[in-house]
Amino acid sequence: MTPALLEADVTVARRTFDVVARVSLAPGKRLALFGTSGAGKTTLVEAIAGTTPISSGEVRLDRKVVNAPPATWRALYPRGDRAGRRRSEPPVPFRHRGVAAVRQPTTLFPHLSVIENVGYGLGRPRPDHSDGSFAELLDRVGLSDLRRAVPEALSGGQRQRAALARALARPFKALLLDEPFSAVDVTSRGDLRDLAIDVTRRNGAVSVLVTHDLGEAQAFGDRIGVMDGGRILQIGDAAEIARAPANRRVAELFGYTCFSDHDEQYLRAFHPDRFAAGAYPERGIVVHGIVTAVRAFGARFACEVQVNDPSSLATLSPIQVNVDCPPAVGSRLEVTATEPPLVARVAVEGDEEG
Amino acid sequence: MQRAIGRLPTTAAVSASVLVWVVLLGPLGVLLTQISPHQVRVTLDQPGALGPLWTSLEASAIALACMVILGTPLAYLLARHRLPAPRIVEAGIVMPLLMPPLVIGLLLIFLIGQAGPVGRVVSGVDPNVFGVNTFFALVVAEFYEAAPYYIISAAAALSTVDPRLEQDAQLLGHRQLTAFRKVTLPLAAPGLAAGLAIAWARAMGAFGAVLIVAYNPAGLPIRIDTSFIENGLSGALPFALLLIVAALPLPLIGLMWSARARGTRREFAAAAALAEPVG
Repeated sequence: MTPALLEADVTVARRTFDVVARVSLAPGKRLALFGTSGAGKTTLVEAIAGTTPISSGEVRLDRKVVNAPPATWRALYPRGDRAGRRRSEPPVPFRHRGVAAVRQPTTLFPHLSVIENVGYGLGRPRPDHSDGSFAELLDRVGLSDLRRAVPEALSGGQRQRAALARALARPFKALLLDEPFSAVDVTSRGDLRDLAIDVTRRNGAVSVLVTHDLGEAQAFGDRIGVMDGGRILQIGDAAEIARAPANRRVAELFGYTCFSDHDEQYLRAFHPDRFAAGAYPERGIVVHGIVTAVRAFGARFACEVQVNDPSSLATLSPIQVNVDCPPAVGSRLEVTATEPPLVARVAVEGDEEG
Repeated sequence: MQRAIGRLPTTAAVSASVLVWVVLLGPLGVLLTQISPHQVRVTLDQPGALGPLWTSLEASAIALACMVILGTPLAYLLARHRLPAPRIVEAGIVMPLLMPPLVIGLLLIFLIGQAGPVGRVVSGVDPNVFGVNTFFALVVAEFYEAAPYYIISAAAALSTVDPRLEQDAQLLGHRQLTAFRKVTLPLAAPGLAAGLAIAWARAMGAFGAVLIVAYNPAGLPIRIDTSFIENGLSGALPFALLLIVAALPLPLIGLMWSARARGTRREFAAAAALAEPVG
């Protein structure tokens, strides 16, 4: 197994709660941190970049310390029980860290043009449009025509493109992307994401993406870390978490809407996308119900189904089933819940190891 | 009738503004009407008449340089909340503004005169260079009267620069000092210029503390005072004009440039805020 390139084990004190997390990534790996707003994703990624102070722990990138608790008089001159404890080495200066970051809200240098912003870290001679790889980078983020514009003349999406290009222009060991595409039009998000993945791979680096969009997290990450309340609730393969969320909160964040009692420790979780119309007993649990409402749902239809089974699943009612052809309201419908996973009622310590 | 009443507050506000403006600028107008070009030429043609001007310009330039070199790092630390007990530090910086200049002058005797322990050490090096009534004393007195204006406005200007931009510049490979020079300084320049402009005007016009510790070598304000006592108004006014001409253009240009730069930046900021993504 390759040794980890990025190793973070941090506690960051915040006003309302602490962010406590452990992240370890081998070269070339991409982690997507997924969770609702205020879950502590930005705090964690800023702690990894070393731009926010941590209260305990350490972040190492390529064996170099990039974040450690700030030196205090007590840490410098330990007394009593602290005397024996090893003091963390001071972090290396920002410029030697090999961290490239797109931050939220976007930070471009307001007094420099797009091309000066993107080329900021490249030193002299200052790159211009005649430089092949540099021009290609500007082209791939779609800013070739705007290279002389100043940031205030750009739209939010264009600013994010420029910030991404600036981060990718220099060699890096860790690429940290905090909601980098939130203002970018949906059609070009895929291209920018592929570009970021490409460059990360070429650098043999790791990357961490922060997003509250599950689709984006799944498209970007080899692994997904589900964050809530300052903790990583579960970390693992994207498909694995979707099919087997560790606990109720993770399941909710992944879109599971119905939960039925299983035993004292576990609930059975149901996802609207994992209900299929029709009876397939070999694929899961079949329930009988009556369609009470139908509405358009994207290109398909969402049916509200009142379960009239005598089983414990009746407590789920009403459930949402997405179908291709809308059935009549009032008609009977057999529904199969495909392999509904068992999830813990509450988070169990050690889950995040998963 | 109703419209007339509706306009009343506006009319009152405009008249008040005009009144304030006239009262503030009135003395300058009087100076320009009361003084004849002939009188100015005769006074300033006297041998050594321009000496005090050069003394003031040199002393103010040196005081200003000291302010920038010593005051900017202090202002930066204040702006970034990196100092212990910032309120106390701030109070200490503002203190010279709150104290009457004459009192500052008296207290400075302890610092550069033989009266205090610090002064004995300082002037012990060479009382003709570092003692009371030397060029050095003039610079120190001007520094005390002007430095707080620069430090306070510089701290305000530097605190408007997003510290994350400095971090970004460093993550992109720059040393802290380079990041400061390439990012923080250009962004804070309008505010720093405004602070420098005010400090320059204060230093050039410093009188109270200067009167006590640096009567000699006479700078322009002292020269105005002695001319006024010896020759009355007609003798003092040409020097007053000289002081205004020497002290004002630089600050005026600085302030106007700074106001313009800030105005455009404010528009930019508003545009940027609109463009900022939500969530």
